[in-house]
Amino acid sequence: MSADLRGLADIDRVIHEPARLAIVTILSLVESADFLYLQREAGLTKGNLSFHLAKLEEAGYVSIEKTYRGRVPLTLVRLTPEGAAALREYRAQLREFLKKG
Amino acid sequence: MTDDEIKDIEKRTRQYFYEDGFIEIAVGILFLMLGGYFFATVALPATSRIKSWLDASFVLVILAGLFLVGRLVRFLKFRITYPRTGYVAYKKKEATPRRRAAAAVSGGVIGAAFSVLLAVSPSVRAWLPALNGLLIAFACHLFARRADVMRFHILAVVSAVIGLAVALAGIGDIKGISLYYGVFGAAMIVSGIVAFSLYLRRSRTDEEGGHER
Repeated sequence: MSADLRGLADIDRVIHEPARLAIVTILSLVESADFLYLQREAGLTKGNLSFHLAKLEEAGYVSIEKTYRGRVPLTLVRLTPEGAAALREYRAQLREFLKKG
Repeated sequence: MTDDEIKDIEKRTRQYFYEDGFIEIAVGILFLMLGGYFFATVALPATSRIKSWLDASFVLVILAGLFLVGRLVRFLKFRITYPRTGYVAYKKKEATPRRRAAAAVSGGVIGAAFSVLLAVSPSVRAWLPALNGLLIAFACHLFARRADVMRFHILAVVSAVIGLAVALAGIGDIKGISLYYGVFGAAMIVSGIVAFSLYLRRSRTDEEGGHER
């Protein structure tokens, strides 16, 4: 593998996945967002979103809080400081790689 | 995912708060109330107790109005928007001492400039609606740039036009201000209702899999 492509191979694959990238991008701009908003904005089904959130939570990039608003259950998602740092790192890596190209 | 797609996501996230039009509806109602307030101060006889009370309570009216706007928007979002298209809590901008000072200084300068203008040239009173319209237009323009929402640019133009039209019609001073706020308030409400109907058309209530959100 060439030196240029090696940089891309080190890229964070948790964030690199398009659906997860969309999720963390949204969360980087807000304090928190609920499941419904993320589902609609990322264009995912409930099952898909649950899968991707689980991956992000496993990596420590998001925190998920299940709460209630009145009697309605609500799932709130927040980007953790580690998630924000990972997104910044990812963007920097991508910019560097694209600059070389 | 392309850079444009990411920028699009970022833009839509920032715009989401304004998508339902509730801000304009609430502020439009506030402006209508202001229009009524100014009209009452002019229409009531000088010896009226209510007029004295109104004259003394302008700041209170503004503060109460802003409080009610906040509550109304929050109520409508929790009842209609969040169950329909999801809940977002935006990051609160820190009210640093520097920001507070900047807001106080700019507010003070604008207020002082108006007072000086009126004292030095009383004929400026005839142009108060136009000046008010331009001030609000500038605020709408700044808001439009921050929120990246096109219809706020349109409201900026509408504000300037209404203010100028009222002044050119020879309706100056407080009567003109009252008319300006009444008409522009109605324009904001219309803008908000249009935005709301577009929002309803674009969205649908999520009914899949029960109430989980």
